[in-house]
Amino acid sequence: MIQTLDASRRWRWILPFLGAVVVAYALLAPLTSLDAAQAINLPLLADKVWFRIATIIAMFVVLATAWNIIGGLVGYAAFGNVAFFGIGAYTTGMLIAKAKWPFLLALPLAPIAAAIFAALVGLPLLRLRGHYFAVASLGVGVAVGELVQNLDYGGQPIFGGASGLFLPIFSIDNRGLFFFYLMLGAAAIAIAVTWLVLRSRFGYGLIAIRENEEAAAVMGVNTTAYKVAAFALAAALTGLAGGIFSQWNVFINQDNTFPIEYNVQMILMAMAGGTGTVFGPAAGAILLQLLIQFLSGSLPITLDLPFVPSDARPVLAQIILGLLLMLVVIFAPRGVIDFFGGRSRLSLSYLRRSLRETSI
Amino acid sequence: MSTVATAQLELQNVTKRFGGVAALDGVTLSVAKGDILGIIGPNGAGKTTLLNCISGIYPPDSGDIHWEGASITGTAPHKVARLGIGRTFQVVKPFGSMTVRENAAVGALFGSAEARLAPKAAFVRADEVLELVGLTPKAGLSVTALTIPDRKRLEVARAVATRPKLLLLDEVMAGLNNVEIDEALEMVRAVHATGVTVVLIEHVMRVIVGVCRRAVVLDFGQVLAEGEPEVVLRDERVIEAYLGERYAKRLRA
Amino acid sequence: MADFVQLVILGLLAGGVYVAVGVGFGLVWGVLNIVNLAHGALVIVGAYLTWQLFNTFGLDPFLSLPLVAVALFAFGYALQRSIINRIIRAPLLFTFMLTFGVNLVLINVLLLVFKSDFRSVTTSYSGQGLELGAIVIPYTRLASLAAALLLAAVLAFILNRTRTGLAIQAVAADRDAAQLVGIDLRHLYAFTFGLGAACAGVAGGLITLIQAITPTAGEPYTLQAFVVVILGGLGRVSATVVGGLAFGLVEVFGQSIPGSGSVFANAIAFGLMVLVLVTRPQGLFGRIH
Repeated sequence: MIQTLDASRRWRWILPFLGAVVVAYALLAPLTSLDAAQAINLPLLADKVWFRIATIIAMFVVLATAWNIIGGLVGYAAFGNVAFFGIGAYTTGMLIAKAKWPFLLALPLAPIAAAIFAALVGLPLLRLRGHYFAVASLGVGVAVGELVQNLDYGGQPIFGGASGLFLPIFSIDNRGLFFFYLMLGAAAIAIAVTWLVLRSRFGYGLIAIRENEEAAAVMGVNTTAYKVAAFALAAALTGLAGGIFSQWNVFINQDNTFPIEYNVQMILMAMAGGTGTVFGPAAGAILLQLLIQFLSGSLPITLDLPFVPSDARPVLAQIILGLLLMLVVIFAPRGVIDFFGGRSRLSLSYLRRSLRETSI
Repeated sequence: MSTVATAQLELQNVTKRFGGVAALDGVTLSVAKGDILGIIGPNGAGKTTLLNCISGIYPPDSGDIHWEGASITGTAPHKVARLGIGRTFQVVKPFGSMTVRENAAVGALFGSAEARLAPKAAFVRADEVLELVGLTPKAGLSVTALTIPDRKRLEVARAVATRPKLLLLDEVMAGLNNVEIDEALEMVRAVHATGVTVVLIEHVMRVIVGVCRRAVVLDFGQVLAEGEPEVVLRDERVIEAYLGERYAKRLRA
Repeated sequence: MADFVQLVILGLLAGGVYVAVGVGFGLVWGVLNIVNLAHGALVIVGAYLTWQLFNTFGLDPFLSLPLVAVALFAFGYALQRSIINRIIRAPLLFTFMLTFGVNLVLINVLLLVFKSDFRSVTTSYSGQGLELGAIVIPYTRLASLAAALLLAAVLAFILNRTRTGLAIQAVAADRDAAQLVGIDLRHLYAFTFGLGAACAGVAGGLITLIQAITPTAGEPYTLQAFVVVILGGLGRVSATVVGGLAFGLVEVFGQSIPGSGSVFANAIAFGLMVLVLVTRPQGLFGRIH
């Protein structure tokens, strides 16, 4: 008895400590790439590869945290949020490439466009429950991507068509650092928004809707308005990430702005870290994205299995990912945060209990 | 008896059909301010359907519902709540992942217009209502740790936290033993004493006779009888439809 | 006018495959309440199995259908019993994610084994068709439609006239009550999923004749199965048949829209699905849940 109490107490401070270390590292390491730092011979902790991977990780922190608002807090498992990413990317992309807007002016329009779209689509969609909502949102995600790629006017593709859209390069010293901090800023905004929502009247309303929508309604919660607002908020944050992505990546097309896998990845990250919490999705995003990058061989440390030819590695990576996904879903339904938060112990009894709750 | 002029809640010829069955068939009744009205009737008589129509979960197919003079027929549930009508559910619907206190606070945060408080003030109000129903010692517990009687108390507390002018209670006594019923009766009286009009659906006759000033009997979606509880319970038609010979004999004896 | 008739016929023929893809998916969804994101992968597994039998033994795809059905049934039964049953009472999100994981693993295992080259099955009658005036009806398509309808009939027979089938319907109606009358839920769930997988396998066999296959070619079929089931309505095999044929018609007519109509096929399908969900969620013929 006493031993378990100590164990959970011990675990409880590890997570914030780890989090602080990660944040400090993320904020400070890039500074070593500045000319000033190089001048005094500081070791280079962040090179181009580092910036690329770190920016992608930060991007997924935004995506997972944003999804959590509609999927975790309200409990409406949206399966097509990548649509908002793409809308944000193309909004900023089109404004820069076709209308010649400067990047920093075009960027704020990305979340706005995504939110407006979410509000319009959300009104009919959020009337659906469970499976139907998930499937419909998935359908919207796929359809929007298709439309953006294929819509044309007078024979010319409006959005760049299959060959995609090229943006002029954003010229700035140390582009890697700039975009990383920008994406990190978006991640910080997403987390801050979640934190604020959870402490506000709005947040209580959302959770009440998740727990029992009918009871929430008779208590006075305007369920339709709240659901749509949450959906639009999630869309705005997702769209912001898309907007940053478009200028960062310089090239956008249907494949890299509406990838269906992103839908599953953002949900998996939120689940692995703990839906309904502030930092859970971020933790899940960092862990899972590192794993994905590792398995695809993008990290400096790679997996070298003797009997696997290198061209089969990405395929093997996907298999491992799939198996991992299955294992997480079966054995750790409440996620990492629950475990480190002291509310569960990674023990056989926990695993057995969660299995019993969900299997027949 | 209440006259139309002072009626706070008024139903006129309300009808609600599900498929071919009329759950409510031309129901007309009124509730005066400050009243405690009991609604009784066999299972399937339409009692919960009545509450659902009033609180806006679904609109009646025909007829009108007036609240404080204005029509609320077909108004959305959250708007009905904002107008001052609170309700509990027969099968309790707590917000599972929240604590007892947080559940009560949701009522305070969203309820009737005066009650929409910022989180801090909402928690103060939550503590007040928990005190009223006797759940203060369990305020910090998760709702999943509560017993059934306590969950019912929480259900009432949450509804009261919305500062309703009218409280609709749906079978709050179901599943309680005698001692628990007495406690629950005290709770209902306490709530009523704060000036809230109460309408309760019950099967437990002791409650109807003990706390209600008026009673309405529903059967097959129609009003069978209404009046003072003792009078209603002695009505031949009511006894036939609902109470059965044995209870009727006991009453007459 | 002849063009219109041709389109209708082509639409119905295209619908054959969609019927096959949809009935298994709808069965699993209706009974187990699982939206199986790996359904398309099971279709492709069936397709590869058919291709392999054709390649190694020269077995005509239509003849190998029963074999593929049995093989996929066994695989589906094992999959459900060992893995999917573990999270069957969990919230829907979990089944989505689990089946997505299964999908990922299946497709990539296929990639490992077969690589991403396109394979196809060409039989002696592949290019030929029935000629009725100006209209040509390809034999393969006609036989596919016939096979799909036969599959649906067999499935309906199993569900309505066998003991196991009635048990399946009981479980679909009320899981707990079914257990109370002594139905072994674990076995029945696995059996139902096996049936769904078998239907997917048959669909896979049918598609080898109309398209080239590669491990990722199954993805669109999962999404299309959704649309078919939603269009026709959940709850009855006959409803799904209607949904499949209707979807075939929508696809063919959508592709015939002048301009880039063909490219919008997916968007049209999803637009239709969302429209149905919002206006008439029970589909054309389904039962209201």
